[in-house]
Amino acid sequence: MKEAGEKLLNVALVGNPNSGKSTIFNKLTGLRQKTGNFPGVTVDAKEGRLRLPSGRELRLTDLPGTYSLHPTSSDEKIVAAVLANPRDPHFPDAVIYVADATHLEKHLLLLTQLLDLNVPVLLALNMSDTAAEIGIKVSPGILAERLGIPVVPVSGRTGENIQKLIGEVEKLLLAPLAARKPFYVPTELEKQVAEAVCLNLNLDNPYQALLIAHHQSWLPFLSPQERATLEAIVKNKEFQSLRIQVDETLERYDRFTPLVQAAVQNPPQFPSTPTDRIDAFLTHRWVGPLFFFVVMLLVFQAIYDWSAVPMDLIENMFSGLTSWLKIHLPQHWLSDLLTDGILAGFSGILVFVPQIAILFFLITLLEEVGYMARVVFMFDKTMRRFGMNGRSVVSLISGGACAVPAIMSSRTIGNWKERLITTMVTPFISCSARIPVYAVLIGLAVPANRVFGILSWQSLTFGSMYALGVLAAFASGFVLKKVLRTHDLSYLAIELPVYRMPHWKNLWLTVWEKVLAFVIGAGKIILIISIVLWAMARFGPGDDMQQAEAEALRIAATQQLNDTATADLVAAYQLESSYAGCLGKLIEPAIRPLGYDWKIGIALIASFAARDVFVGTMSTIYSIGSSDDDVMLREKMQSATFDDTGTSVYTLATALSLLVFYALAMQCMSTVAVVARETGHWKWALFQFAFMSLLAYFGAWVVYHLFQ
Amino acid sequence: MQRRYRTVPDLKIHESARALAFEDPALAGKLTAMGLLPGTLIEMVRTAPFGNAYYIKADGVRLALRKEEAASILIDL
Repeated sequence: MKEAGEKLLNVALVGNPNSGKSTIFNKLTGLRQKTGNFPGVTVDAKEGRLRLPSGRELRLTDLPGTYSLHPTSSDEKIVAAVLANPRDPHFPDAVIYVADATHLEKHLLLLTQLLDLNVPVLLALNMSDTAAEIGIKVSPGILAERLGIPVVPVSGRTGENIQKLIGEVEKLLLAPLAARKPFYVPTELEKQVAEAVCLNLNLDNPYQALLIAHHQSWLPFLSPQERATLEAIVKNKEFQSLRIQVDETLERYDRFTPLVQAAVQNPPQFPSTPTDRIDAFLTHRWVGPLFFFVVMLLVFQAIYDWSAVPMDLIENMFSGLTSWLKIHLPQHWLSDLLTDGILAGFSGILVFVPQIAILFFLITLLEEVGYMARVVFMFDKTMRRFGMNGRSVVSLISGGACAVPAIMSSRTIGNWKERLITTMVTPFISCSARIPVYAVLIGLAVPANRVFGILSWQSLTFGSMYALGVLAAFASGFVLKKVLRTHDLSYLAIELPVYRMPHWKNLWLTVWEKVLAFVIGAGKIILIISIVLWAMARFGPGDDMQQAEAEALRIAATQQLNDTATADLVAAYQLESSYAGCLGKLIEPAIRPLGYDWKIGIALIASFAARDVFVGTMSTIYSIGSSDDDVMLREKMQSATFDDTGTSVYTLATALSLLVFYALAMQCMSTVAVVARETGHWKWALFQFAFMSLLAYFGAWVVYHLFQ
Repeated sequence: MQRRYRTVPDLKIHESARALAFEDPALAGKLTAMGLLPGTLIEMVRTAPFGNAYYIKADGVRLALRKEEAASILIDL
C-alpha cells in the first residue's frame, strides 16, 4: 500500500528503437498499463504500475525509442525534453536502460549520455538468450565494472531474469547516488558554455547544461527569458551546435567501443541470415510492391470475413435482449431509455469490436515482425511526391483502423511539413468506424447481383469507398505540398530490423488496449449521444408532442388504421414535433440538395461527434414507438419516404451521396482533438474540419446529381 | 574536375567500402547516432523499387537511406 505523503517513484525505460524495450515493459507491467491514446490523457508515453519486492509501488514509463539525446523527430524530442529537465513531473528517479545484447556496439551511445546526466541507471541486456544462441558471449561483470552500474542479462521473449531486474531496480532506488566521473570529457568550449548555462539557469550538472544549450530553440520547459539568455550564450561563444553534437557522438563511441570489445566475445561476423533471404523477395523491385498489395488485400479480406460471425452474434444478442426487455419491463419512459437509448447505443459500440480487434491485430503483427520498416523504405519516393514521408505509409495504413493512433504514429516523422500533411490527410482513409455506415447504406441501396460473375456490386461499392478515401488523401497531400513551406530537414534514414517471430503477448496486449480504448473512449461519446438523441426524439417543445399525438390519432381514426399502423403514425408525428425533429427540419434546406431528409439530418448532426453514431442514431430514430421489434433497421429505412413529396428517401442516389459524405467528412471529435494536440494549434484542426466538410458536401452533391 | 572520393550511391550492388566522413552535419548527427561512423564498413544491398533510396548494411546493421542521404557519406576509393 502506498503510504500517505510518500511520493510515487518514477522509473523510465529508455533505449534504442528495436531494443525490445516495449516487450520488457509488457513483461514488467502486464495489463496494468495505459496509453495516452485518447484526448484528456496528457501523458505521451505508455505508463504502467510495478510493485517492488518490498511492496512499494512505482510508476514505470516506457519512453519512445531513441538513439541519442540529440533528437531529430518529435517522439525523440519527448525523451530529451523529459531527461534534460529534472523539474519535469516525469523525470525518472531511476532508469532501466534496455540494450540489444546482439548489437551492443551500437546500443550504448544513449546510455553514456544518461551516465553523464547522473541519473541512477541500470543496464538490462535484452535478448541475452538470442546472443548466446548465436555464440556471442557478453560478460555482465566486465560491463558493470567498467560502466559503474548494475548490469542484468534478461530476455523479453522468455521473461528470464525479469524478477532479478525488479530487485535491482529496488536496490538502485534505495542506494544513495554516488558522484560519477563524467563518461564524456567536454572540450574547452563546451566547458565554458556549460558553465555559463549552469550559472544562468542555476543548474549543477554540466552535461544537462550542455544539452539545454544545444536544444534551447525548442525545449518546451524554458521560459522566453531563459531562451533569450541561452541564445545569447550560444551566439557569444560561437557554439556550432550540429558539429559539436557529431564530435561528442564520435568521442563517446571512441570511449565505449574498447569497453564493448573487452566485454563481448565472438562478436558477430554478419553472415547471410534469414532476414537477408526474406528481404531479397520482400524488398525486391517487382515482388516487393506486389507482395505489399496482396498483404493489404488480405488484411481487408480478413476484416470482413473473420468478423461476420462475431458481429452477427453480438447483434443478435442485443436485439434478443432488447425484445426480452420490452416484453418484461413495465411501460415507462425509463424502460424506453434503457432499450431505445442505452442498449441501442451499446450495440452500436460493441458490434465494431471484432473488426477493430482484427485490424489492430494485423497492423500490429506487421509492425512486430519488422515488415513496416520495409514498406517505409519501398514507398518513400512515392509518398514524397504527395508531400509526405515513407513513414507516412504506417500512419495511412493504421488510419484504416482508427485515425487517432494513426495520427500519433506520425511523430516519427522529423520534418514538420511532412508530418503535418500526414496528419491532415490520414482521416480521409476509411477507418473502422465507417464500416457499419457503409454496410447499412450499401445493403440498402446497392443491388446484390454480380458483375463479371465474381464481384458483387455491393463489394465493388465497398472497395470504391476505400479507393475514394485514398484518392482524397493523396490529392490533398499533393495540394498541401504546394502550399506549405518549411526549412526542416527531411530524412528517411531508418533501421530495417531483423525479422523475428512476433511476441504474442505484445500483440494481444496491444489489441486489448486499443479495443478497450475504443470501447471506453469512443464508446462514452456514442453512449452519451445515443441518450441525448433519444431524449431529443422523445420530448418536444411545449405541448407539441401531445398535439402531434392527437392529430395522428384523428387521422388514424378517419383512415380506419389498425393498431400497429396507428402506433407508427403517432410515433412519426411525434418525432417530427420533437426537439430532434425541429433540429432536423432546421437544417433540411441545407441538405436537401444532397438528397437527405430531416431524419438523416439528425443523424448527420449527431455523427459530427463520431461517425459510428449514424447507425445507432438511425436505430434510435426509427425504433421509437414501433411495436414490431423484429423489423430490422434496413427494412425500416427502405420504406421511408419524404414527407412532402412522398417519394422514397433511400434511392441509389441518396445512398451513394451519403456514402461519399461519410467517406470524406471529418466526423470524429477524438480526431479533431488529437490533431489539435499533435499540431499544437486549434487552427489546423479547424482548417482540416472545414476543408474535409466542404469536400464532403461538394462530393455528395455531385454524386447525388450524377445518379439521380 | 576529377573527384577524389566516392559516395555511397557510387557503390555497385554487393560492393563494400569504408565510410570516411560526412558532408552534412545535420545528417551526420542522425547517422552517427544510428551507428554509422567513419570507419564503418558499408555494403550496398539494393535500390528501392521506385528508386531514390538504398538498402545498405553498415557493419551488419540494415539501414534504408535516401539518395541524398547516401550521397552525403564519403567512402574510400
